[in-house]
Amino acid sequence: MTASGATRRHVALRYSALGTAAVLALALSACSAEEGSATEDSDTVSGDITLLTPIYEGAAGQRLLEDELLPQFYEQYPDVTVTVDYTNFARLNEKLTTGVVSGLVPDVMMMGVGWVEAFADKGVLANLSESGISVADLEKSTTPEIVQAGVWEGDVYGVPIMLDARFGVARMDLLREAGYDAPPSTWAELVEMAEALTVRSDSGSLERAGFDVLSLDARQMYETMLFSSGGTLFNDDNTAPAFNSDEGIEALESVVDLIHTSKVEDTGFSSTKETVNPLINGRAAMGIAHNNLWTQTLEAAPELLPELEPFLIPGDAPGMFVGGTLATMSKGSEHPAAAQALLEFLASPGPALAANEQRGNIPALTELLDSDYAQGNRLVQFSMENLDVAKREGGPSEWLGLRGEIAPAIESALLAQKTPKQALDDLADLFTSKMGG
Amino acid sequence: MSASTRPAPTTRLLRPARALPSAPRRPDRSRSQRKLSRAGWLMVTPAVAHIGLWTALPVLATFALSLTDYNIFDAPRWIGIDNYIQIWNDPTFRLATWNTVVYTFWTVPVSMAIAMVIAVALNQNLWLRTWYRTAFFLPQVTATVAIAMVWLWIYNPQQGLLNAALSVIGIPGQAWLANPDWSLWAVILVGAWQGIGIKMLIYIAALQNVDNSLYEAASVDGASVVRKFFAITLPMLKPATFFVLVISIIGAFQVFDQIYVLTDGGPANATTMMTYEVYRSAFQNFQMGLASAQSVCLFAFLLVMTLISRRATRGDDE
Repeated sequence: MTASGATRRHVALRYSALGTAAVLALALSACSAEEGSATEDSDTVSGDITLLTPIYEGAAGQRLLEDELLPQFYEQYPDVTVTVDYTNFARLNEKLTTGVVSGLVPDVMMMGVGWVEAFADKGVLANLSESGISVADLEKSTTPEIVQAGVWEGDVYGVPIMLDARFGVARMDLLREAGYDAPPSTWAELVEMAEALTVRSDSGSLERAGFDVLSLDARQMYETMLFSSGGTLFNDDNTAPAFNSDEGIEALESVVDLIHTSKVEDTGFSSTKETVNPLINGRAAMGIAHNNLWTQTLEAAPELLPELEPFLIPGDAPGMFVGGTLATMSKGSEHPAAAQALLEFLASPGPALAANEQRGNIPALTELLDSDYAQGNRLVQFSMENLDVAKREGGPSEWLGLRGEIAPAIESALLAQKTPKQALDDLADLFTSKMGG
Repeated sequence: MSASTRPAPTTRLLRPARALPSAPRRPDRSRSQRKLSRAGWLMVTPAVAHIGLWTALPVLATFALSLTDYNIFDAPRWIGIDNYIQIWNDPTFRLATWNTVVYTFWTVPVSMAIAMVIAVALNQNLWLRTWYRTAFFLPQVTATVAIAMVWLWIYNPQQGLLNAALSVIGIPGQAWLANPDWSLWAVILVGAWQGIGIKMLIYIAALQNVDNSLYEAASVDGASVVRKFFAITLPMLKPATFFVLVISIIGAFQVFDQIYVLTDGGPANATTMMTYEVYRSAFQNFQMGLASAQSVCLFAFLLVMTLISRRATRGDDE
């Protein structure tokens, strides 16, 4: 993109953001006039507020937020000052915990899927439905799969900004070398292709994994497999674990077999701490990946972009894991109008598109799915095309206290310390006890 | 000196003074003592307030919270010793405790022994002695996170330095941090390496207080270097050894940073430690009451280990 192109895009985004925020404010003022919110005239919205965010990560994210987005926000709300507290999803819990304990909950918080339930249930988050944001309205403008992640007991507590999905990705150049012209369409085919694509040295050490399952967090990897097997994490009313069903056990057995029977990847060959995804540097021919693999490849090896071919993990039912980021507001904010104004601004098309582009994620606003960014990103497109089979994690309000237990259980099966059934049954017992069952 | 030349008047003056009944002077002394006492209390008050507010109160609060169900959102609810029962029945915390004991058992004596040898060597008149001392102390003043990042690279199964070095001598590489058979040892190695600097520094300081005449006398008696080390150096370093042992045990039991960065307690909890479980309970699972109970267990372990090490080294206040 040329400099003038970039400038035009920024200007367009800027006006788009200001326009949308204004429209949202007007719409909300029609819905509700009593609460102190962004429904008030922007001249009356004032105060020093804090924003806790795991997105806008790194220097580029910080530049985007502070040099581009917040100046636009200040143009509309000159009497509001925003102090930003940057973190990442791994550390978000700590920030929120210390904030709640010390009574210093940030005014606006970005949360992941599965987080809103706990904080809404405990009265930490503001009920945005009371400020005029309804589920029906959100579903008109936002991908419905993600809207429910911000809903608790029928009310809106979080406004989606972005989605992120996990699915299979194949390096077509490597597949073609091995004589395949398309990604696998059945599990048996996947196993056969993975075995054929695995490369070992004469001494037997692994040089290329046929199918990489270790670069992704063990919990998300398993959930992708689980959803592709037609399984679910919890029962319909989220009162009991359901991942140790036949489908769940089969899903984990499939992964264990890939490592121990088909030997398409060795334990330790890759990890979440890898700086370069093995699909990019050719150390894996296929694997389960995050949609931001596209952005990573764009930065590291753009010539490989045409070779990245996404596919749904073939299982008993088509499925895909989807997460996301939602903007929430503290119930105890001293400046609710300013906080809501910022929330609406960040969730509006311009800023949301910029945030998604910086992070390589899928815009939650359906109108942005036609944007140049979304249209030019094959993995984002694929995610959008398959959102109807996507499932998200979370559900019960205890989720945040449960999710950390999943990875060690999955790892114990991958390391053959337990059988998949033992590992999942033990995990289900632990979940049941923690859920008060 | 003859009796007539003695300063009799002075003696006479003193005698009546000594003979004076002390009762009338008591109020003066008592007042003065009270004044001194008040001044003393005034001076220690800031320290007492500081310790009370920032140490005693949190410790008491931790004990109290350990008997409650506290999830940060709701008020703490008294549950007696339920948290302790949960800890007792929790296989992960038992594994964490065992891992912590193993980590301490290997990092403390190994790094103490290496530190002592290095300290003795660097107490000689070596060329570039200061440079060596600085080099050995450097890991101590470097952020653990930075160190852990370097070790992450060293342990990388594909591009890591360790596997590359092993391949030169024909030993197959390992997935050091991903293999549960190796991961704890990999963490122990980092812990032992990082702890050498401060121990070496303490030993060097202690060595410089050892009287050279002892070594000279031993040399005159024909003692070998090894004999001098065991007969003079080691006994003279006993107070320092006790101090190093106690701070090392406390440090080892509180290991957290390198676990947090290197392994996240994995794979499959193979490297989780007591402090890491406290962190997980508090900040990942929002179980502050349970985390407090785990902290109390950690405190109890440290107390017992300190008493054992005091007994083992027959440490005193010298």
